[in-house]
Amino acid sequence: MWAYVLRRFFYNIPVFMGIVLLVMLALRVRDPVNGLLGKVKTEQEIAAKRMELGLDKPFVQQYGIFLKKLCTLDFDEESWVNRGQTVGEVMQRCVGPSLALTVPSLVLTTLISVAIALMSAWYRGRWLDKALVISAVLGMSVSFLVYIVFGQYYAAAWLPDQIGMSPFAVSGYEPLEKDGIGTYVLKHWPYYCLLPVLISVIVAMGYDTRFYRAVMVEESGRDYITTARAKGASQPKVMFVHMLKNAMIPIITRVVITIPFLITGSFLLEVYFAIPGMGKQLLTAVVEADFPIVQAFTAVFAAIYIASNLLTDVLYAVVDPRVRLS
Amino acid sequence: MSGASDESRSLRKFLRHKPAMISFVVILAYVAVAAAVILGDLVSVEDCERRYGPKSTPGFGVSQLFEKRLQDLSWYAEQIEQKLALRQKLKRRLQSRGVEPTNEKIEQELRGLRIGNLRPADISAEDFQIRLDSLWNTVAELDEFDDLNNPGSDTTTIERLTSAAEGQMRSLYAEQTPAEARHRNLHLLFGTDVAGRSVFLRSIYSIRVAILVGVVTGFISVAIGSLLGLAAGYFGGWVDGVVTWLYSTFASIPNIVMLMVLAYMFRGGEIDAWLNDLTGDRFGWLIGGTLDETLIPVFVAFSATFWIGPCRVIRGETLKLRESEYVQASQVMGYSRVRILLRHILPNISHLMLINFSLLFIGAIKSEVILSFLGIGVQSGASWGLMIDAARDEVLNDFFWQIGAATALMFGLVLAFNILSDALQDILDPKHV
Amino acid sequence: MTVSTGNLIRPKSPETPSVALSVRNLSTSFRTDRGLVNAVSKVSFDLHRGESVGLVGESGCGKSVTSKSIMRLLPEHVTRYGAESQVQLDGENLLTYSERQMRALRGNRIAMIFQEPMTALNPVFTVGWQLDEALRYHTKLNRTQRKARVVELLDMVEIPNPDRRYYEYPHQLSGGMRQRVVIAMALACEPEILIADEPTTALDVTIQAQILRLMKNLQERTGTAILLITHDLGVVAQTCDRVVVMYAGQVVEQATVRELFHDPAHPYSRALLQSIPQSGKKQQGKRLATIDGIVPSLFDMPDACRFADRCDCRQDLCVTDLPPISEDDSGRSVRCHFPVSDSSSTRSEV
Repeated sequence: MWAYVLRRFFYNIPVFMGIVLLVMLALRVRDPVNGLLGKVKTEQEIAAKRMELGLDKPFVQQYGIFLKKLCTLDFDEESWVNRGQTVGEVMQRCVGPSLALTVPSLVLTTLISVAIALMSAWYRGRWLDKALVISAVLGMSVSFLVYIVFGQYYAAAWLPDQIGMSPFAVSGYEPLEKDGIGTYVLKHWPYYCLLPVLISVIVAMGYDTRFYRAVMVEESGRDYITTARAKGASQPKVMFVHMLKNAMIPIITRVVITIPFLITGSFLLEVYFAIPGMGKQLLTAVVEADFPIVQAFTAVFAAIYIASNLLTDVLYAVVDPRVRLS
Repeated sequence: MSGASDESRSLRKFLRHKPAMISFVVILAYVAVAAAVILGDLVSVEDCERRYGPKSTPGFGVSQLFEKRLQDLSWYAEQIEQKLALRQKLKRRLQSRGVEPTNEKIEQELRGLRIGNLRPADISAEDFQIRLDSLWNTVAELDEFDDLNNPGSDTTTIERLTSAAEGQMRSLYAEQTPAEARHRNLHLLFGTDVAGRSVFLRSIYSIRVAILVGVVTGFISVAIGSLLGLAAGYFGGWVDGVVTWLYSTFASIPNIVMLMVLAYMFRGGEIDAWLNDLTGDRFGWLIGGTLDETLIPVFVAFSATFWIGPCRVIRGETLKLRESEYVQASQVMGYSRVRILLRHILPNISHLMLINFSLLFIGAIKSEVILSFLGIGVQSGASWGLMIDAARDEVLNDFFWQIGAATALMFGLVLAFNILSDALQDILDPKHV
Repeated sequence: MTVSTGNLIRPKSPETPSVALSVRNLSTSFRTDRGLVNAVSKVSFDLHRGESVGLVGESGCGKSVTSKSIMRLLPEHVTRYGAESQVQLDGENLLTYSERQMRALRGNRIAMIFQEPMTALNPVFTVGWQLDEALRYHTKLNRTQRKARVVELLDMVEIPNPDRRYYEYPHQLSGGMRQRVVIAMALACEPEILIADEPTTALDVTIQAQILRLMKNLQERTGTAILLITHDLGVVAQTCDRVVVMYAGQVVEQATVRELFHDPAHPYSRALLQSIPQSGKKQQGKRLATIDGIVPSLFDMPDACRFADRCDCRQDLCVTDLPPISEDDSGRSVRCHFPVSDSSSTRSEV
């Protein structure tokens, strides 16, 4: 198996280099120096700035320098906009809020969707199943933004009117470090993050439920299900033991595949709820032409993506005895 | 292998599939509206930007709240008053230049006032002033009441005064023909947004944007994806290597990051300038204006990310087909590669192209919202994305007409496409999970 | 070897009435988008203890629905059983049983073997685990006893190295091996009745013979009654005592194997027999007989004889009236207005 992992790793090196190349090229379509300097600037200032940022070097050389930094895991380059902060520091600051949003929503979405899918498969063809399938399609047909807007409306305007207090913040965030873990988990997290997490669960649920239901329905039609029932297995045994273990393969794939999109997936939420996560930071960096941040963040996202693809294959082999990695 | 009989069977299945047929008709209706907007000038960009009334009026006629009614009628009166006030300024300016001031200028100014298809009444400036004065008197009486929204026992008095004020306001404007009135009611069907623009017209214009974005990006992405996927699957070797590398690379950059970077690229105008240099004057003629005024950045951004899906699927299917017996038989019979590709492989992946087109269409419409937010979406005119984004503050003030209209129209189209895609998948590709 | 732990599982009742399972007027319908579809119509037959009965017919004739109705394995919410339908076990009607009661029977007193050994086993559990399952549900054996019993079962179905196979996954076994595992699984609790739904169709001929021999041997040893569902008359000839021939959801003929093969009474049975190739006879140049025409659609069943359209000896009565079942003293029955008489039947020897 390790040989397989190693080979896949080497195979992904050109992909990774391609990503870095693509992003660096795209960024350099526009000259960032004008924006970085104030309104009043001279030719000399521009040239000096260009030299300082290393933009005067030929592109190939810039590319080489950045690749070398990535290889040595050197994230000490200074941000162009927030002087005095390194890329590594910015990243460190943003990871926490992003994880606070994304990990709970992934876990909740998966658990709820699988549960609903199982329920749907259990009552397959009956009204409950039909109702669930229809609501999934209806839910999928509404824009993400609408969920956010109405979520904010109910939490910030309607709910306080009803109960006389506001349980959720419309925007903002308090980091873990501020008041320690106890206060964070009991007070800050529910106040700032619960609402966006719930919204993202609702948004993702339509898609996930449909996918998992399709998986369950496919599995429930298999012969081994009939065999198990003929052995005298009860419906819960059939579903939770026989079916679920088989369905674990697609479920795991889907979960792991979502991991890289977790951080950016909650991007709109971060922006609308003013949570200072990686997505929001990346957007700011792109707008401000903060190349070191954009390049490093993209490279990290890509690395996570590639790693999770690899993880999927390995987990596959763990769950499914038929799969041999070679 | 999908022969002719197979195709007609699929078609018959599709025609029997009731939800799919209904969805198809709904989509056709949307496309027809879009075509009418594009070709027949049903709603123009100017219509989207023009003021049709006071800000944030609710749909289906007038508000029930006295305060809002008062605000609205005051707004209409103020439009006239502002034009009249111009007279004083104009007078002074003309006098300072030593020119004899005439009333004609102001009259002209007033005649030019248009709120939707509403025109000022055909009376003199002095008459306007008289009618305005009596209107403001009524309004002043209404101002005596502390809380117009909770009038209690004064309801009848307030109702009488408000109706009177509304009557006086209407007298400032020219009588409308029934056709004009119907038109105006239609424009105000879903109320107005914060800038007094017609929500109805904007949401209709947005259909054009949605259909255009869906069709163009769907088409380009499927075309690129199929071409690369076919080539990779069929020729294998280094072609496959390059294509696989290309889509792995594009897929490894999160979708939204790619959109952000593309947004950055387009925002500066450098690409505009570069394209203009490259193509000379022909460019402007080709796309009609600068990049910002068209949807080209949207098409590029979506196509750059969307082609991966169809490419992967079609490469896989082509690989499978290449190993199939009938393709191998054709190879043994000495048919050329092009012939095999066109005759045997292409017809057997066409259903995947169709399904992918339908899926990408939904993706494009839904992503347009995100693009609008990023600022490379639609720049001029309107789109559902812009409307929903703009409605955020309105919603906090309990005003749901704009978000409601945009969401409802978008919901209809996306739902229809979701049902259609499901049906297509069921009928054409039943093995798919 | 003998089944040593057999007596631990369930004491056999001392008085054994000769009928193990009695199916009476079984009608099974499905609710579909196009209305109620009747798949099986008034099927009646008995299965005696220690006996093998073949349920024969072409695909779609209702064989599998019949067997799944007995096991109540059809999706309950779309399945309707006729009012007079009865599946009697020990004088009780299984069709009125609750799911819980049924569960106690399945895999315990009635077991089933399926057609596709490739898919009938769950790919993500070990062979041992899956064999163990029925024992877990129906016996009070402890873990070690169950393990011993599973190994014994694997040995019984002639799987080499049962101790090692216990820990293997289905994909590590060949098709024949897997079918042996499926049989072992069905026999785990020593059922009184074993329903085998095309157990050998998916296997190649040599393996087929091995499996059939194995089933026959096991039956002799355990006294299980077997209902063998197949479309292959050759298999029936090899293994069964009696045959029930089904056509378009109805039983058209019941007879002993000998009677049926030597003297088929129903034109359909006769046509079936003529359509099997026979070795060892001078048949060169002779075309294999086929049955012309098609089975009537389930949505459009005639009220008359369902075989009439395809029958060589059709008469006017056949297309107007449903033929009654005529039964003689020996239990042989046929559903035909004009059963083929001894003299007119083309003898076919097997």
